Amino acid sequence: MLFTLAFTSLMRHRARTVLAMLGVAVSAAMLLDMVMLASGMRTSFRSLLLVRGFQLRIAPKGTLPFDTEALIDSASEVRSIVQAIPGVTTVSPVLGGQLRVELRDRVVAATALGVDPTVQGDYEVTAGREPKAPDEVAASDELLEAIGARIGDTLWVATGFDPQLRTYVSRRPVIVVARAHFLYAALGQRMIGAPLATLQSMRGSEAKDRTSLFMVRVGNGVDVEAVRARINDAAPKVTATSIASAMKFVDERLSYFRQLAFVLGTLSLFVGFLLVTTLVTVSVNERIGEIAVLRAIGVRRGRIVLQILIEGIAIMLSGAIAGLALGLVTGRYLDTILSDFPGLPAAMRFFLFEPRDAWAALGLLFACGVLAGIYPSWRGASLPIATTLREEAIA
Amino acid sequence: MVMLIFALLLMQQIDSSPARAHPQGPRTIAIDERLAADVGLKLGDRVIVSGTTGGGGDTVIVGAIVRRSADPSEIARGEYRVRMHLDQLQRLIGYGERVDRFAVATRSESSTVLAQRWINDAAFGFRAHRSRDIAVGTSKTFLVVTRFHRAIGVITIVASAIFLLCIMLLKVDERRRDIAALRLMGISARTIVSSIVLEAAFVAVLGSALGIGIGWLSSTIVNWHYRAVYRTPLIFSLVTRDVVTLAVALSLVLGVAAGFLAARRLAKLPPLALFGR
Repeated sequence: MLFTLAFTSLMRHRARTVLAMLGVAVSAAMLLDMVMLASGMRTSFRSLLLVRGFQLRIAPKGTLPFDTEALIDSASEVRSIVQAIPGVTTVSPVLGGQLRVELRDRVVAATALGVDPTVQGDYEVTAGREPKAPDEVAASDELLEAIGARIGDTLWVATGFDPQLRTYVSRRPVIVVARAHFLYAALGQRMIGAPLATLQSMRGSEAKDRTSLFMVRVGNGVDVEAVRARINDAAPKVTATSIASAMKFVDERLSYFRQLAFVLGTLSLFVGFLLVTTLVTVSVNERIGEIAVLRAIGVRRGRIVLQILIEGIAIMLSGAIAGLALGLVTGRYLDTILSDFPGLPAAMRFFLFEPRDAWAALGLLFACGVLAGIYPSWRGASLPIATTLREEAIA
Repeated sequence: MVMLIFALLLMQQIDSSPARAHPQGPRTIAIDERLAADVGLKLGDRVIVSGTTGGGGDTVIVGAIVRRSADPSEIARGEYRVRMHLDQLQRLIGYGERVDRFAVATRSESSTVLAQRWINDAAFGFRAHRSRDIAVGTSKTFLVVTRFHRAIGVITIVASAIFLLCIMLLKVDERRRDIAALRLMGISARTIVSSIVLEAAFVAVLGSALGIGIGWLSSTIVNWHYRAVYRTPLIFSLVTRDVVTLAVALSLVLGVAAGFLAARRLAKLPPLALFGR
């Protein structure tokens, strides 16, 4: 009965109800997007860092991995020190650099990563096999496409140019043995993975026994923060960064998006609330005579309150369900825009859907629906019956 | 002018230096005011700069503290910048006689094009780019943010349009008895629709004026907040004439359309039906 009355009341002004639901749907879509934005970046970045199970990154003292061109000196010594720390299971060295791939008519630049193929955590081989010999490399789809090469092809690569002699520096042939997906590459970035020793020798004295970073995996149940502290104590030339400290850094750099998500999410909620409050209030004002009659024939005040609350919640929830679907579509579109953000890994997602986000958005909208119905239901339930009936009769 | 930019590790302020000194005494460096504030450096302080952690460095004197220009490409990077003599930096980081780039001043736009063509024809291993093109490339962060804001703006406009339509519908609906009375008095439906549209336009203009005020205030707060967060003179939010014109025009069009649709819907009904009979 209660639901039938609420439904009838909403259907009395269909255009108005449909418009309100549409308004709530857009607000709900925006709200879901903002909830996804607020938590998506962190979740996505965290899972990206942990994708290969490395919980710690070690970079030159005072820097973050690949944030500067600084290198870790005496890399083999640092690696031995870190490897000896209890709880450390894997230490993976990485050296970054630029390589030029020579073609007949042009030169294509690529970002090179020198890794230890047995423990590397920077790429996943999608075709071919892991490069092991000094002259073997793995290349990203983007690079292979740009140079028109395939697995098995030989490439001539160099680390730079000598403008005076008009020759390439450290020029050597390499064989592409794998097509790989580089986990931390930016969108469209051309990548090449080579054995660490190969890249070190190509970069010459500036990279001799040096690396850009180490990735460290610790055993199950080992306190990562304790290992981090021990690394920082044992190797004073480096700074170890855990996932937690990396997250803090990301929070600082991308705080703008979290703040934007908070502001826009709050605004969306407020707009939805305002819309439903206005609509239900007007609806109650229009039928105060009807409410007074219901009260006069013995319908309890609580039932009136409940009926009006149900109207508010019904508009809010029906709009919200449509809005959540709309939010997923707009979220995907907004994510494609932000995936062009320079310097960020292409695999990072800003709008990452998780069921808890949808529940959070629904919960907030439900609460708003209840709040939106409070004022009109109080007004409807507290009408003086006799006076209202008389005024309505005169009108 | 030759510039070489490289991340340097600025070591602690020193009392007794194990570092090398220049034959003519310590040379000077310029640091940005962000670094000076964070590390507590002031003009005349002596520091050791080194290319590697723990390695030997050079003792230098802070000779200038400079304010960095507004550069969108650096906005999310909290890094410090030190400017020093080229030869000293090349030696410190083992860079040999190499540089990262040359900046070339030209007399005019045409000579820029000529110089670029000439350099690229003669060059081996490097290319000349126009500063304007580099600026476009390094502003990608802001271009992405702009596209994102535009998309959010479109969603907001859709939400506003529905909200406005709904409110106008309610507002006009509330006056169904007035409209019925006017119709019974002989006032034409056209006049009634026109008067409601006029009223809607007035409400839209008034709302726009209020919105501009709120927008300007929000913009001031946004600039104040993000300039402090990122420590930059960049302008994050700008209320321009174009933005105001677009907002007012949109609001007016939406308001008038919503008012017209709502009024026409009621004006079509017979007056007695509007009275509920």
